[in-house]
Amino acid sequence: MGTRNKLIYLLAALGGLLVIRNLYVILLQFPDEAAQGAIYRIMFFHVPCWFICFTAFLAAGVASILYLWKRRMVFDNVAVSAVEIGVVFTATGLVTGSIWARVIWGIWWTWDPRLTWAFITLLVYLGYLMLRRAIDDPTERAKNSAVLCIFAFVSVVITYKAIDWWRTQHPGAVLSFRTGGGNIEPAWEMMLLWNFLALGLIAAAVLLIRLNQEQVRREVDGLRRRVHEL
Amino acid sequence: MRFLRQAGTIAVKDLKAELRTKEAINASLSFALVILLLFSFAFDPTAEQTREISGGLLWLVFAFAGALILNRSFSREQANDCLDILVASPVSGAALFIGKAVANAILILAVEVVCLPVFGVFYNITWTKRPWWLLLVLVLATWGLTVIGTMFSALTVNLRLRELMLPVLVYPMMIPSLMAAMQLTTLLIAGEPVTGEDIVWLRLLIGFDIIFTALGIGLVETVLVN
Amino acid sequence: MDERNFTFMFYGLAAAWAILAAYVVYLGAREGKIRRQLENLRRMLEERDKT
Repeated sequence: MGTRNKLIYLLAALGGLLVIRNLYVILLQFPDEAAQGAIYRIMFFHVPCWFICFTAFLAAGVASILYLWKRRMVFDNVAVSAVEIGVVFTATGLVTGSIWARVIWGIWWTWDPRLTWAFITLLVYLGYLMLRRAIDDPTERAKNSAVLCIFAFVSVVITYKAIDWWRTQHPGAVLSFRTGGGNIEPAWEMMLLWNFLALGLIAAAVLLIRLNQEQVRREVDGLRRRVHEL
Repeated sequence: MRFLRQAGTIAVKDLKAELRTKEAINASLSFALVILLLFSFAFDPTAEQTREISGGLLWLVFAFAGALILNRSFSREQANDCLDILVASPVSGAALFIGKAVANAILILAVEVVCLPVFGVFYNITWTKRPWWLLLVLVLATWGLTVIGTMFSALTVNLRLRELMLPVLVYPMMIPSLMAAMQLTTLLIAGEPVTGEDIVWLRLLIGFDIIFTALGIGLVETVLVN
Repeated sequence: MDERNFTFMFYGLAAAWAILAAYVVYLGAREGKIRRQLENLRRMLEERDKT
């Protein structure tokens, strides 16, 4: 087993253990919230999911810039892996949010700016993944998708800032670094961060798996070209 | 100065080529009219309701019709390897991009200017209550749509599935500008001033124009050069 | 209300993990596919080299 595989197992195991510990605290130790009841516990996953999603798209954007600068394929691998993970976590974020909304607002979905922008972000990055499939030449694909990835990040910024720019139905910021503190019970804020770490570890493990795959895929592409040449 | 002259040359070239054949603009204009007609089946238009959604309707028409023009922008240069020659010429990628964007913006604005009165007549709307504000919004939003459209037209020009990929990529990216334009246009057609909370839409419109233009100028060279 | 509140909480948590699990399964399936392709190509090349 290579060092990288060991690292993957280590990250996944740490993340998994932390998730179990967090779930234990969230489900069994935290009391129900006064206004929302039990359902508020979804927030301990919903909010960190979006943190992961923003982080992943930011990483993809940085990797894309680095690719255009250094022209090394490894940055393209990082970008596509990060975008895929971002898309998965966007989906989880939307679904968990939707289930929460069904209980609290009585509806699955509303065209509130925050929700709308989150959905647009999902569409934009799905477009990115589709663009990659439409280009055959690896260099051309890396270059053009890197450009798209930089454009796409604008929608992530808007999603992040939507709660400040518009009056939204979506709850406002909770973490102290944005609100100045006092909006949330300190233990709950810590738990959000713990879960962010736990999901982050899992996401990192998945990212490494995905990176491996992308490398093997390039190897396959190279071999295939050689077979065609023969 | 050199940059502006080069961009101007490209814009004039594109406009001349378009006016000679009128391929894109004819298609775009007739498509716009078809959509305007189709809307009358989608709902029973009384003036009051139509006014409330007029911004949304108009910009849907403009976005769909404009995409036909944007689609042609770079693919027109593929015949006889014109694109390779343009890239190899002393004109910088940024000048090429701005020139093409200006030409596209003028063409789309022309379509919009024709559509507005037709819309007014078909749906009984007086849209001239605040003409200068409306013109400002038209120009700003059209520029926003055009820079994104031109950029993505360049991005997808070599694709097998160009016609399929362009709409999928371009519409979500256009939403910031479209959304602001829809809100402002609805306001202005109702004859209300742009004040208070609605200023945010104008700011967004200008902000996105600047951001997308800067990104386009910065990145178009990498897209075009192989 | 409280009952439903509680079930929906579980739906939410389950859905989140289900999506993540589905992605990991998908990754695994793709991994297998790519490995098989790699094996096939390697074998093809070896056979060509022999002849």
